[in-house]
Amino acid sequence: MSSIANLSVIRKLVQIATFVFFVYGGLITGYYLEDKISNALPALSCAYDKNGADLCTLIPIQHQMDHRLGEAIAKGGNLMMGIMPTLITLGTFLLFFVFLNKAFCGWVCPLGTFQEFLHMIGQKIGLNRRESLDNGLVNRIRPVKWFILLVLVFGFPLLTGMGMVNHDLGDPFCRICPSRILTTLATGDSSQVFVDTANSTTIFFSLLADFLFGLMVALALTVRQPFCRICPMLAMHAIFRKIGLLKLVKSGTPRCDRCGLCAKACPMDIREIHTDMERRDVTFEDCTLCGRCVEFCPDKDVLKLKYTFFPVFTSSPEYFKSRKKAQTKWEKANLIDWLKKGRGKPQVENP
Amino acid sequence: MNRHMPIPILAVSMLLTLPVALGAVETGTQASEPQPQAHNNHRGPKQLVLENGLGAKVTLWKPDLTTQPVTPEHGMFTMPKTGMDNYHAVIAERDWGNLKETVIRYEYQFGKPSKRSPSELAGTVKTDFEIIPDPIPREHYRYHSNETWGFLLRLHGEPAQNIPVSFESENGSQMKSVTDERGYVSFRLPDDFPDIVPGERDRRSAGFTITAETENAGITYQTMLTADYRVAPEHWQSTQLGLLVAGIGLITGGLIGRVKLQGGKKK
Repeated sequence: MSSIANLSVIRKLVQIATFVFFVYGGLITGYYLEDKISNALPALSCAYDKNGADLCTLIPIQHQMDHRLGEAIAKGGNLMMGIMPTLITLGTFLLFFVFLNKAFCGWVCPLGTFQEFLHMIGQKIGLNRRESLDNGLVNRIRPVKWFILLVLVFGFPLLTGMGMVNHDLGDPFCRICPSRILTTLATGDSSQVFVDTANSTTIFFSLLADFLFGLMVALALTVRQPFCRICPMLAMHAIFRKIGLLKLVKSGTPRCDRCGLCAKACPMDIREIHTDMERRDVTFEDCTLCGRCVEFCPDKDVLKLKYTFFPVFTSSPEYFKSRKKAQTKWEKANLIDWLKKGRGKPQVENP
Repeated sequence: MNRHMPIPILAVSMLLTLPVALGAVETGTQASEPQPQAHNNHRGPKQLVLENGLGAKVTLWKPDLTTQPVTPEHGMFTMPKTGMDNYHAVIAERDWGNLKETVIRYEYQFGKPSKRSPSELAGTVKTDFEIIPDPIPREHYRYHSNETWGFLLRLHGEPAQNIPVSFESENGSQMKSVTDERGYVSFRLPDDFPDIVPGERDRRSAGFTITAETENAGITYQTMLTADYRVAPEHWQSTQLGLLVAGIGLITGGLIGRVKLQGGKKK
């Protein structure tokens, strides 16, 4: 295998292509919402980006909770009619989701791509990066995505439609979503970076959004995928992951106990890939199906990405050796080491 | 049409607008916390006013490009429910023989998804001489002051080049421009709402008209597009403050990253 022709490189190329398509593709698909591909994409492609090719499913869901279901409940209307638009949106979401499963996060999402490239920049300028977060911290962070999904995507919009909270809480997740700021900035539109002084709700959410965006950018330089860990889309995916055709499958061996390279390679710090010896389907709720664990598994056929019954990528000692070599070479090259070259040897680093 | 009626002197004597009570969604500024209330999505029937529209033929164009005649009563009419979601075009036409007048207005109606792009409605030739928003504000968006918007002028479906075009807002602003070789003209919507309080959300809206006149084969064509625009959000949304807060987030993230790395596993 060529040192650069590996799954991570292929994935990066796919990520670049999907980023360009979903951020600028509206120039091809069209300007209006009716021109967008699905209006229920299982990735954070933002509706505020008028040049985008599609928009994420969380936008219509909040809208429907507010304007349809909430209103139907408040007015004592037909609940079935109130929930129907959401069911149609979820159905559209699932039509896409079933094909790629959680790979929408690891291969398609523009915000995920942005964070990965920031991390690469962090590496290239020689910043000290965290190999992995502490287990305790990971455990504390994991429930946040569920909280955001239930409270910001479903809860507040529903209460808004029912008239129990003010209208500015009709789309609270969009108000804090970093993808809104990223994708609009990427198209040269700075109108989404603002502090909105209309009332205390808008002040709170706009401050939080701007702060969160800055925080995410800085953290992504040294920590892998900081926002992905709390993203409500990850939680949405987790609910439906069993019906996705692409899966991460494990056939554990006794050697797994002594290894753990898969968990170290995981950008979401899913240690269970290493420790769980019971399950065969190890597409855990935080998995983004990026395939790095498979790449860095040194044993034959222990980890696999399978599409239905067919393995599409399988761990092997040969691939592992080549991949590790490529990774070491990649990580050696950074700005600080290059500047230090005259004074000493650059550090050799592990994947 | 009655060709013996006197020709009006004023360019496009008709005017197609929302009634004041509906057109101005909220008059006056709104500074305080919005009160919770059951949602009224303005999904009800829309009423339009056709001023000086005696003898005009009014047609509703639906998103699927089918049409429906509308009969105003006492200069007003309610847009018929079509069951289709998305932009509809209302066109009032009056034929004086050697003068043809047209007023066009695009209005959003709620309903079942039409699955038809507003670009189809905009692209279809609906009358002899028309002004088409290029683009129409995207679904759920609006015109705002301080924004530049483009418009295309078409005569018999062809770009109307080098035509003088006038813009006038309900707040008194006036602008003039000329179409280019594509029949395109743009205007920066004036920030002309009176008594704006900086930092306070203002949901007022006002109407504007874009008018043009041309002659072809001995017939004078006058056309008008009417629409509403709102106060620019920049009066209560500060980008500079937003950048400052994002910068604070950036510094905080940098500090967290630095502190957490000390003593932890590094890569």
